[in-house]
Amino acid sequence: ETTLRVASWLPPTHPQNAIVWPTWSKWVEDATDGRVKVEIEYGLGHPKTMFELVEDGVVDVSWSYHGYVPGRFKLTQAVEQPLLGASAEAASVAHWRVHQKYFAKANEHEGLEVIGLFTHGPGQIHMVDPITSLADLKGKKIRLGGGVQGEIGERLGVTAVGAPAPKVYEMMQQGVIDGVFIPMGEQKSLRLKEVARNVVVLPGGMYMGSFAMFMNPDFLADLDPKDREAILSVSGEKLSAMAGRAWDQGDIAGLKAAEEAGVNITMVKPGDALDVEFNELTKGMDEAFYESVADRGVDAKAALTELRQIARSYK
Amino acid sequence: MITALTGFAILLLIIVVIRVPIAFAMGLVGFFGFAYMQGLGFDNFMEFRWNGALSMAAKRVIDTSQEYGLSVIPLFILMGNLVTKSGLSHELYRASYAFLGHRKGGLSMATVVACGGFSAICGSSLATSATMAKVAMPPMRKYGYADSLATASIAAGGTLGILIPPSVILVIYGLLTETSIRELFAAGFIPGFIGILLYLAAVRYVVWRTPEAGPCGEKMEWPERLQALNGVWGVLILFSIVMGGIYLGVFTPTEAAGIGAGGAFLIALYRRSLNFGTLFDILTDTARTSAMLFSVLIGALIFSNFINRAGLPGDLLDLVNSLDVAPMVVILVILAIYIVLGMVFESLSMLLLTVPIFFPLVQSLGFDLVWFGIVVVVVTEISLITPPVGMNVFVLSAVLKDVKASTIFKGVTPFWCADIVRLILITLFSSISLFLPELLYR
Amino acid sequence: MTFSAWVTAHYEEKGPVIWLAFFLELIAAVTLFLLMMLTCADVFGRYFLSNSVDGTTELTEMAIAIMVFAEMPVITWRGGHVVVDILDRMMGSTLIKILGLVAAFLMSTSLYFLAVRIFELAERSLRRSEVTEFLQFPTGYVVEYIAIMSWITAALMISYGVYRLLFLSRD
Ligand code: NA
Ligand code: NA
Repeated sequence: ETTLRVASWLPPTHPQNAIVWPTWSKWVEDATDGRVKVEIEYGLGHPKTMFELVEDGVVDVSWSYHGYVPGRFKLTQAVEQPLLGASAEAASVAHWRVHQKYFAKANEHEGLEVIGLFTHGPGQIHMVDPITSLADLKGKKIRLGGGVQGEIGERLGVTAVGAPAPKVYEMMQQGVIDGVFIPMGEQKSLRLKEVARNVVVLPGGMYMGSFAMFMNPDFLADLDPKDREAILSVSGEKLSAMAGRAWDQGDIAGLKAAEEAGVNITMVKPGDALDVEFNELTKGMDEAFYESVADRGVDAKAALTELRQIARSYK
Repeated sequence: MITALTGFAILLLIIVVIRVPIAFAMGLVGFFGFAYMQGLGFDNFMEFRWNGALSMAAKRVIDTSQEYGLSVIPLFILMGNLVTKSGLSHELYRASYAFLGHRKGGLSMATVVACGGFSAICGSSLATSATMAKVAMPPMRKYGYADSLATASIAAGGTLGILIPPSVILVIYGLLTETSIRELFAAGFIPGFIGILLYLAAVRYVVWRTPEAGPCGEKMEWPERLQALNGVWGVLILFSIVMGGIYLGVFTPTEAAGIGAGGAFLIALYRRSLNFGTLFDILTDTARTSAMLFSVLIGALIFSNFINRAGLPGDLLDLVNSLDVAPMVVILVILAIYIVLGMVFESLSMLLLTVPIFFPLVQSLGFDLVWFGIVVVVVTEISLITPPVGMNVFVLSAVLKDVKASTIFKGVTPFWCADIVRLILITLFSSISLFLPELLYR
Repeated sequence: MTFSAWVTAHYEEKGPVIWLAFFLELIAAVTLFLLMMLTCADVFGRYFLSNSVDGTTELTEMAIAIMVFAEMPVITWRGGHVVVDILDRMMGSTLIKILGLVAAFLMSTSLYFLAVRIFELAERSLRRSEVTEFLQFPTGYVVEYIAIMSWITAALMISYGVYRLLFLSRD
C-alpha cells in the first residue's frame, strides 16, 4: 500500500479542499482498489512554493496559481484573457485540451507531471461604495493580484494596492482599499459580503485565474504500472472539469451568501453601458498576450482561438 | 505520536543541555525529523535522497526572509529605538511616574497599560515587546524596580494586544473557520480589557509579596504632574498617528510600522538628537535584533513542518475523539493540549497547525466558533510567555542583553497565572466574549 | 575623530574583521532606512498623489532579505542568537565554552549544506526566468544572495567566531 501526500492551502472549507481533493482521493482509491491512499497536508508554506515542493519530492501532489510565479508561466495566461464568457468548468476543460495540444511542448511545467488545469470563476468588481460606470474606478484604491487583472487595473487607471487575498477583508474594513477584483465565491469564503457591499457582475466576468494540479514524476514512475495507469485515468480532463465545476459551485454559494446578506449586486447584461465600456477597455489585450509569449515557440493565436471556441461551445 | 514526541524531547535536550541556539536547534531537529519521515535511517545515510528535506528547509529560509507581512518586525523595532534615542521614553516615564510612581509597582502598571495600548495598535506581540523594552526598561531600572518584575510586565503586556482589534491572528482564525471577522473583533474587546485588569492585579500581587520589587516614589503635586505632561507630546502625536491612521484606514497595520518609524525619525530630527553616528547605531541595532528574530521564526517553521508530517495534529484529534466525556471536558482537554504545545511552538504556527483540525470537532459539539476563536487566541497568547520557548521573553532578552531569559521567565509566572484565570473565565462564561457580537451584529 | 578611529572605537572585533563588520552593517542600515522611506513614500503617494510606488511589496520583500542576511554573519560570530540559559549557573565556564564549540560546528555545517541547496534553487529559478510581478526583477538574484551570505556566515563562524569564543569572551 502506498500513501500519496497532497499538499494543500486555503481553508479546509474551501471547495478545492472540501470537494476537489476528497473527490479525486476517492477516485484514486477506487481505481487502484485501495492500494494507493491519499492524505492531505496543510501549512507547508506559500502557495507559490508548492511547485518546487512537489518537484523536489517534499510532497507528491499539490496545486498552485500560475500567477504567483511570473516569468515562468506565460502561456497559461491564455485562459485568463478577458471576455471568455464561460463558466469555470467550461474554461477548465478548454484550458486542459489546449494545453495538451499546443502548450505542453513549451514545457513551462518542467519537472512536474501536470494532472489537471483549471480556472476559478470569472473575476468581478467588489466595491465598498457603488459605481455606475467603469470610469468611476479611476484613482480608486483597488487591491490587484498579478497577471491579466493587473493589466486591466492599469487600463482603468486605478491606484493599485498589492496584498495577499486573505488581507482583503481587513484592508477593506479599514478603508485602506476601496475595492477588489475577485471571483464571486469570495463573497462567502473571504467574507467580503460584510465589507464589499456593492458588486458589479460583468457578463462573463473580467478575467479568469489559471491553476494547475501536479504530481512528482518520480513518485509516478515508482508506482506499479497498473496503479500509474489507474491514477492517470482519473486525472487530466476529468479532474480539470471536476475542479472547475467545484469552483463554479463556490461562486454560486458566494452569490447566494451575498444575496442573503443584502449585498447590492448589479447584473450587467450584454450590450449595457458597462459591458460596452469594458469591451472598449480590453481592446488590444489579445495582441499584447501574443507578444508576451512570442519566445515560447507555439501558435498562441490559434491556441487562444481554439480555447475560446471550446469553452463557449462546452455542453 | 511517538515520533513527534521524541522530536520534542530531542529538541528540549539540545536547547537546554547542549545550549545550541534555539533557531538552529529547531531547524536541525525539524530537518532530520522530516528526513526521517521520508525514510532516512542509519543504514541508508549515504544514499538517502537529501534533496526533499533540504528543499523544504531552504524554501522556508527563502520565503520567510522575503515575507511582506514580517516587515512590521524591523520597522516597529526601529520606531521604538528612535523614540528611545530622542529621549521621549524618559519623558513619558517621568509623566507616568508623576501620576503613578507613588503607588507600589506603579510604573509596572503603567507599562502594562502602555503595552496593551501599543500592541492593540500594532498587532504584533514581538514588536511591542521590543519597542517597549527600549522605552520602559531604563526608567523602571532608574527607579529601582527588580529586573524580573520590570521585564515580565513588558513581556506579558506585549501579549495583550492580540485580542484587542485590529488583530491579524483573529483574521486568520476567521478565514480558517469561515467565522465572521467583525464578530471576532467585537468578541475580543472585553476579554482583552479583562486581560489588562488581571495583569494589573498580578503586579499588585507581586509588590504585595515582595515590596522591594516595585518601590514607591515620592508623591507629586498637581502642578508638577501637569508640568511632567509637557514632555510627552511627541509620543502622543506619534502614537495618535499610528493608531488613528490604522483606525481611519489611512494605512494598514503593516504600513503603520513604516509610518511610525518615519514619524519617530522626524521627531528625533526635530529634537536634534540624531547625528550620523547615532542613526547608524539605531539602524544596526534594529537590524541585529530583527535578524535574530527571523532566524528563530525560520527554525520554528522548519520544525513545524516535521511535527506536521509526523502526524501529531491528526493523532491529537483521534485522542480527543476517543474520549467519551461531556463536551466541556473535551474543550478542556483541547486547551490542555494547546498549553503543552504552546511551550514549544510559536503562536502563529500553532494556530495554523491546530485550528483546522479542532474546529470541526468543536462545531459538531455545538459550541460557538466565535467564542472558540477567542479561547484559542488567549491560549496562543499564553504560549508567548511560557518556558522554554516563549518568543516575547526571547525578544526581551535579546534587546536587553544583560537580562537572562531565566530571570524574565521567573518574573512572568504571576502574569501567566493571571492568563490562566482569564482563560478559565472566558471558557466557562461564553457571554464574556459573545456579549458584544450579540449586541452589535446578531 | 577620524572616520577610521570612529569605526575602530565602534566595533569590538579585531583586525580586518572590523571592516567586514562595518561593511555588512552598513548594508543592513542603509537597506532598513530605505525600507522606512519606501513605506512612507508609498502611503504619501497613495493619499496625496493618487499614485502609490509600483512594486512596494516586492521591494519590501527584497529589503527584508537583504537586511536580515547582511546581519547574519555579524550576529552569528558574536554569539547573538537566542540561547536557553536556564542551566548556566550549574555549568562551569569551561563546559560552556566546549558547548559553544559544538554549537559553532553544528551551525556552520548546517548553514553550509543548506546554502548549497539554496544556491541550486536560485540557479533553477534564474534558468526558468522567474521574475517579480511589477518590476520584473529576477527573483533568483535575491536567493543567490541569501545562499552566499549563508556561506559567509558559516565560514566566519567556524573561524573568527571560534577564535572569539576561545580567546575574546568577556568572562
Ligand atoms: Na491588536
Ligand atoms: Na511558549
